[in-house]
Amino acid sequence: MRNTIGVVGGGRWGVALAHAAHRAGREVVLWSRRSEKAVALDGIEQVDGFRTLAARATLVLVAVPSEVVRDVARQLGDAIDGSHYVVHGIRGLSGEGLTPISEVIREETPCRRVGALGGPGVADDLIAGRPGVLAVASRFPEVTHAVRDALESPSLRVSITPDLTGVEWASALIGCLLVAAGFGRSIGVSPGVLAGLLTRGVHEASRIGAAAGAEASTFFSVAGIADVMAALAGDERPEVRLGAALGDGLFGEAARARVGQRVEAPTLVPRVVAFAKERRIDVPVFRTLAAAMAGTMNRDEILATLMSRG
Amino acid sequence: MRDAPIFHFNDERESIVEEVASRVVGAARDPLLLLNDAAYNEIKRLEAHPGNERAEYQRFRELARTVGRMSDADRVARLDELSRRYARDVAGNFDPRVFSLSTKVLPRALTMLLAPKDFSLAEEGSRLLQKHLITQGPMDTLRALAKRGTLVFVPTHSSNLDSVVFGFALEREGLPPVSYGAGKNLFTNPMLSYFMQNLGAYKVDRRIRHELYKEVLKTYSAVLIERGYHSLFFPGGTRCRSNVVEERLKLGLMGTGVEAFTRSLRRKRPQRVFFVPATINYLLTLEASTLIEDYLAETGRNRYIIEDDESTQIDRIVTLLRKLSRTSGSIVIRFGQPMDPFTNRVTADGRSLDARGRTVDPASYVMRDGEYVLDDARDAQYTRELGEAICRSYARETVALPTSLVAAATFAKLRDMYPGADLFSLLRHRDEVFVPADELSRRVADVTAKARALEDTDRLVLAPGVRHARPEELIDESVRAWSGYHTRPVLTRTDGGFMIGETNLVLYYQNRLAVSGIGFHPARKGH
Repeated sequence: MRNTIGVVGGGRWGVALAHAAHRAGREVVLWSRRSEKAVALDGIEQVDGFRTLAARATLVLVAVPSEVVRDVARQLGDAIDGSHYVVHGIRGLSGEGLTPISEVIREETPCRRVGALGGPGVADDLIAGRPGVLAVASRFPEVTHAVRDALESPSLRVSITPDLTGVEWASALIGCLLVAAGFGRSIGVSPGVLAGLLTRGVHEASRIGAAAGAEASTFFSVAGIADVMAALAGDERPEVRLGAALGDGLFGEAARARVGQRVEAPTLVPRVVAFAKERRIDVPVFRTLAAAMAGTMNRDEILATLMSRG
Repeated sequence: MRDAPIFHFNDERESIVEEVASRVVGAARDPLLLLNDAAYNEIKRLEAHPGNERAEYQRFRELARTVGRMSDADRVARLDELSRRYARDVAGNFDPRVFSLSTKVLPRALTMLLAPKDFSLAEEGSRLLQKHLITQGPMDTLRALAKRGTLVFVPTHSSNLDSVVFGFALEREGLPPVSYGAGKNLFTNPMLSYFMQNLGAYKVDRRIRHELYKEVLKTYSAVLIERGYHSLFFPGGTRCRSNVVEERLKLGLMGTGVEAFTRSLRRKRPQRVFFVPATINYLLTLEASTLIEDYLAETGRNRYIIEDDESTQIDRIVTLLRKLSRTSGSIVIRFGQPMDPFTNRVTADGRSLDARGRTVDPASYVMRDGEYVLDDARDAQYTRELGEAICRSYARETVALPTSLVAAATFAKLRDMYPGADLFSLLRHRDEVFVPADELSRRVADVTAKARALEDTDRLVLAPGVRHARPEELIDESVRAWSGYHTRPVLTRTDGGFMIGETNLVLYYQNRLAVSGIGFHPARKGH
């Protein structure tokens, strides 16, 4: 039995997943683009090729930035076959067509048994072994169970769902709403108003997701609204920092520079708004967010728009 | 072709029945529940229509009375007996003599129906059908794959003629005969029954609704596939009522493909399974009027055994065939790219290729921890994905025939005349709307241009000759085909133009282009 877990990606999230699997008692092989060692822990071995990784692990967790996932998946596809499970932990949707990352993996690899991670798990907690919660989705029950077996430990709870589309869209759309959360907080919106706006935002996200084939209820689960609560309770998410920078009057590159980390929302939000418009779904929160990020509305106008009806 | 397993079916029949029964019984988790369910459903059915099945009715009453008190061993024995009986009833017959006879006789029989008084025509039967029926697709690949595994043909379904026409196409293309499930009610039709009975059709009694029977059917199909019997399913279930190309499939029988493949791996005698989507496209559909009315009455679900439609009336079949015989290429069967049960494209030498063109071992998809594993939940998902891939293939391989294109143009006129009207209001405007000839030509030209653009991007196929035909020719051909077959005229030529007659049929024929976006889609919002 190939008990070993494969992790693709030596960034913070990949390292965190490797730690979680290690803590759950599994051997881990990790592939990173960078040659320097990502983790120095017995039981986590860094390999330099996908063939080694694929030969030793059935379950492969992919944690690379969304802009490189297609290339990485294509290389991984040369090494894996139909017996592998590939589960990604990437918050984003690919390209203008908003293709879920699991679809990209299906297009680029022979793998069919795919899945996605979501939920409010934070890299630092996973690395430090502080209690955390994750969601995993796959239409194949054996995949969700394999992920749970691989990652769950007394300090990590993994909830499972078959709604893959839901988890992928929720992760991406809620990420956008976190920008709104950071923005609202930084311009001094009261907690009640902020909570109200974000709840509306989650409703909008659920309608958008449903149009893409997701279960609306997934947006109100660990993979959805839990993310918003975690961010409001103080989890340091880059999206929240981007929102804060916008609130301080920084736009585009300046805002991104302040955050110091890539955030999907600025590219994602306009595409999501276009997607909703095409399907005649009214999404005032997302629309306003798009205007805020483009710098076409000032703080007062944004607030006035969000508080108005219609 | 003579080495196809179906030629030895009669020798194997008993062992197939045996295997089906023992598998069904072996997989039964709760014999009491299965027996109770069978008894309940059969009593209900037979109470309503006892007919000549009184003894059967009494038997199930007896079963219902006693099953609760039976020992476990007795229940298993009853289950075994019942499964065996059903399996034997389902199992068809294959008579190689009838097969070789029918491949010669079928065209003659059809020709005799076309021209019963002119026996000299019978000699030309084969040639006539050759002319009417066009087959397209990767034939060499399919012939090669027939030797490497089990072919499972999964065509669209719009007429009771489908299985006969499809069977003829297979024979003509040098593809092996197939075994397929056909509604037991069809066996009462003398015209179809003779050929079906002896050509590997197995009987599906759609009146029997209980789990045990469904299990027997599924297992029977799995056993055939595993033993290499090339098979044919209509995965849409019943004939498509609306004529919209199937967008959702019934997955039950299709799921037997992955199961059969996995079992063969576990037995260390791998039997590859190749799914072959196909579209069957008619210039005229035999049962069009009944089907579309059934669709509109929304009784489709209840009336899926229509006992009294055009296919039971020999004179209707004769009229249809006469009509079709006047147009070459009036039936087009288009085979899509074959795929394995995991939606990978398959090459002529039997290799599965992923979306990037890499060779992949299909056995790896059913492997877990180094073993080949049966897993219902996993296979259900593979089968869902297979169903989606087959529907995408249907959309790409749909053949736009003149009647569909002209109906789409005509229906567009109706919609423009009554903007905002709902479907049923539109359909009420029979014999009210006049289209000037030049306007209809222009509309047909528009529709055809759209269809050409779709064909250029592999999203639709134009029937031979359509690409370069003038709109007037397409209109002429359609009007000629419709008039004299359908009792109510669809489009009548009058002074300077056309009168739109039977709007239901206009809808029916244009529906074929609904999925491609050219026709109006009756079930989709936003139109």
